[in-house]
Amino acid sequence: MSAAAIINEDQRDCYQELTNVAMGQAADRLARLLNAYVVLPIPKISVIENSDLNMALQGATSDSSVSAVCQGFIGAGISGEAMLMFNDASFASLASLMKYSGPLTQAAELELLMDTASVLIGACIHGIGDQLEIVFNQGHPVVLGQHCGMADLVAYGNNGWDKALAIEIHYTIEHVNIECELLLLFTEESVRALNKKIDYLLD
Amino acid sequence: MSLNVLICDDSSFARKQMARALPEEWQVEVHFAGDGVEGVDAIREGKGDVVFLDLTMPNMDGYGVLETIRRDDLPAMVIVVSGDIQPDAQERVKKLGAMAFIKKPIDADKARSVLTEYGIMTGA
Repeated sequence: MSAAAIINEDQRDCYQELTNVAMGQAADRLARLLNAYVVLPIPKISVIENSDLNMALQGATSDSSVSAVCQGFIGAGISGEAMLMFNDASFASLASLMKYSGPLTQAAELELLMDTASVLIGACIHGIGDQLEIVFNQGHPVVLGQHCGMADLVAYGNNGWDKALAIEIHYTIEHVNIECELLLLFTEESVRALNKKIDYLLD
Repeated sequence: MSLNVLICDDSSFARKQMARALPEEWQVEVHFAGDGVEGVDAIREGKGDVVFLDLTMPNMDGYGVLETIRRDDLPAMVIVVSGDIQPDAQERVKKLGAMAFIKKPIDADKARSVLTEYGIMTGA
């Protein structure tokens, strides 16, 4: 597997920097929502084959039980998929930071998941789009599962592509036990269109 | 003797963007560093009178660079240029001695206004 097949090193560096800026904007939104400090990692840019998705997801979270949402987006001939995965142990802290009172039922967790996903995914997609002058339209978020194992998620992601550009952002919140992974996937065809925009910036 | 400006960022794209954003008429010598460790080395070599510093970097991040500058009393005026735009991040770097904070993505107007505001760019 070689990233060189669909992106070169300069392009990879540029994707990473664009992501860096976009995830910072998303983190700022989340920080305001939770009134906490979001620790920003260095985003990971890689080209994965369909069969590697399992590994990418396994590395995404240390917890075996996760809840996840995905949301497609499309614009300027580019389509992508965003997937947000929460380590299930995160919900108690998330509820307390969001001043959510009452029992933490499955429905309550779902609400927390959807609220956070809409902030993080939306801000990140638009952050990348703004820098490339692309307006992305987002589809409806879809819950992939609550309290499920990675194998269930992988089954979802395996449809109809061989190779994809994966952007992984691992967010943690300072001082509390909240951990989530945002994964953006672009198929080869979309990467070709994205690369054109990237090359224009690199020029 | 012209002023030495150091651009410290792990992304070559970001370094280029930053260099391009510097005012054209500003007579300075521009140097580059790819992470915090290289950045501190360059500052010790006198290449960082003014430092444009990224925060999220491998080996040593921007916070580490600021701590080192403070601990070893290195002569550098630091302007943090970061995608981490949380109010907390800005407060932390100011406490660590950064002079100013610029939100990424950088552009020529932002660079010029900070350089003028803090009196770094003279004779323009």
